[in-house]
Amino acid sequence: MRKRNIVAAAVVALVLASCGGEKQADVIKVGWFGALTGDQAVWGNNEFNTVKMLFEEINAAGGVTVGGKAYTLEAVGYDNKGDAQEAVNVVRRLTSQDKVVAILGPNASGNAIPIAPILESAKVPDIATVATNPKVTVLDGKVKPYNFRVCFIDPYQGAVAAGYAFDVLGARKAAVLYDVSDDYSQGLREFFIQNFEKKGGTIVADESFKSGDVDFRPQLSKIKAQNPDIIFMPYFFKEVALSANQARELGITQVLMGGDGWPSDQLISMGGAAVEGCYFVNHLDYEDPDVADYKARYLKKYGIETELNGYLVHDAVVLLVDALKRAGEPSGEAIAKALESADVKGITGRIKISPQTHNPEGKDAAIIKIVGGKYIFQQKYAAE
Amino acid sequence: MAQFLQQMVNGLSIGSVYALMAVGYSLVYSIMNFSNFAHGGVIMFGAYFGFFAMTLLKLPFVASFALAFVGTSVLAVVIERVAYKPLRERSAPFLYFIISAMGASIFLENIIIATIGPTFRTYPDVFGRSSISLGSVSIGRLDLIMFVISAVCLTGLVLFIDKTKMGRAIQASAYNMKAAALMGVNTDRVVMIVFALGGLLAGIAGVFFGMKYTVYPQIGNITTKSFVAAVFGGLGSLPGAVLGSVLLGIIETLVAGYLSSQFRDLIAFVILIGVLVFRPTGIMGKTTEDKA
Repeated sequence: MRKRNIVAAAVVALVLASCGGEKQADVIKVGWFGALTGDQAVWGNNEFNTVKMLFEEINAAGGVTVGGKAYTLEAVGYDNKGDAQEAVNVVRRLTSQDKVVAILGPNASGNAIPIAPILESAKVPDIATVATNPKVTVLDGKVKPYNFRVCFIDPYQGAVAAGYAFDVLGARKAAVLYDVSDDYSQGLREFFIQNFEKKGGTIVADESFKSGDVDFRPQLSKIKAQNPDIIFMPYFFKEVALSANQARELGITQVLMGGDGWPSDQLISMGGAAVEGCYFVNHLDYEDPDVADYKARYLKKYGIETELNGYLVHDAVVLLVDALKRAGEPSGEAIAKALESADVKGITGRIKISPQTHNPEGKDAAIIKIVGGKYIFQQKYAAE
Repeated sequence: MAQFLQQMVNGLSIGSVYALMAVGYSLVYSIMNFSNFAHGGVIMFGAYFGFFAMTLLKLPFVASFALAFVGTSVLAVVIERVAYKPLRERSAPFLYFIISAMGASIFLENIIIATIGPTFRTYPDVFGRSSISLGSVSIGRLDLIMFVISAVCLTGLVLFIDKTKMGRAIQASAYNMKAAALMGVNTDRVVMIVFALGGLLAGIAGVFFGMKYTVYPQIGNITTKSFVAAVFGGLGSLPGAVLGSVLLGIIETLVAGYLSSQFRDLIAFVILIGVLVFRPTGIMGKTTEDKA
């Protein structure tokens, strides 16, 4: 009996405490989701850490003024394990239980595509970070009203890779190895092939694997027999490192090329000499003076280097804060409306959202080469 | 022709990876009549044991290797004691064992994620990345060493089961656990030995996997394929597990190399289902008990 009283008292106290919390709150809740565990956890943790760091900095500087009133920002983050079904679940939770006004992330296109219906029914905008598949914001020629992003899209990335391989590296025969179970990889492959053939090149091999596979030698042996000038590998660093190592073991010496799934400290430690001299398309140049400040702050706070995702989620926060200031009220609908006319300068470049596509228009891509275990910026490259 | 030979080498090497894992499944199945899904988790621990022995303790490769398989043997026995023995004592239906095994597997994966973290780790280079070239066919050093050590271990296991007294006790228990117990075989000990052996193979497999495919918490997931290979070869039969694994490896490679890599798993698994339709016990399986 006595125990029960204590429990009851504790419950009452908790309820009171939470009520009290709500009354004094001039807090805007912003959701974040991505993979905190699983294959893509490196990037998820990096994103969420960046969001928390930036929110702390913004709050310490007095918060954000919306409609003449100052608010502090609170990040509510959930792990979707990189899983599309879980993405739908956590977005439902963020919008219905946590009542967030906007969501940042995810990084993967496959996770960003299925959440659109929930965002629309809850009227909460989402800003994806490195989700580069066109379908994230536009489906069947119609723009999705609550999906936005801060990165360029796959057709552009595929076109950049194909253009650079053909024009600058002089490749005429290309082979492609891609992940058949991944929207991102499929998208890059499609637009690489399209653009490479348009330029007059030939695709001599088009091979695939399924995510979770660890052995690529059957496909690579087939590619080797076709003797291409370049091998395009549009997938993530873990598979890149494994397939690059296996390619070198099989005696494949050609240059490998990839997209923004490559850059990671772990690519170098896992791939080592196998990825030496290879190229990839990226969102930014890591040595760009614009990114140095954020990079240093992140390193100071967390003791590890930021990954690519951190830069993009940084700009997602910049974009959101700008939209909040112009929205007039902290509601999902008002923020979505403000986002449509956003034009801000982020650390990865100018982000001018197009109302027709919800993509940042005219962002340059950076071509990076791996030299001596370092990412060396080659040039900015824009595809026509 | 050169490509065909290369693809056969690839297939054999992938098959020998499956074989190391499939034998562990088959061994436990032959005694306990259930599929020990925690095996993948034990393999993953083997990979981590070996990795940390080499990087943190700075042990030489052979010592790390030994530490890894002794560690996983102990781990497998502990899992048996904690997760299966209580069920065994109550003669619970086999479904309970499977659920318990899945629980153990999820537990193992998540304890690594929670303590060590989800990042990928790369083994220090031991054998060198370069490969041996025979004409136009290249064979990875690691693959060759792995193939030889797998063959030695599997031969050793077969000799142990055929020639020693404990091996005969395992055979008797596999045939009929109750009758073996009535004849004075300490079946509890037999179960322990079987798990220790399974764990030992898991440790060996884990270290090789880690070296070949890097170390991460989901590495045990590759065991799905080897489980299929074990069923294909005939669950409970050790030669069957090896044969099934090698065949699966070669079928996969040939399908990817000559038909279509997009349809590799689809075609490979249709072939497997086809075989199982005509031979439900697998290639070398003897009994027609529930396969689970």
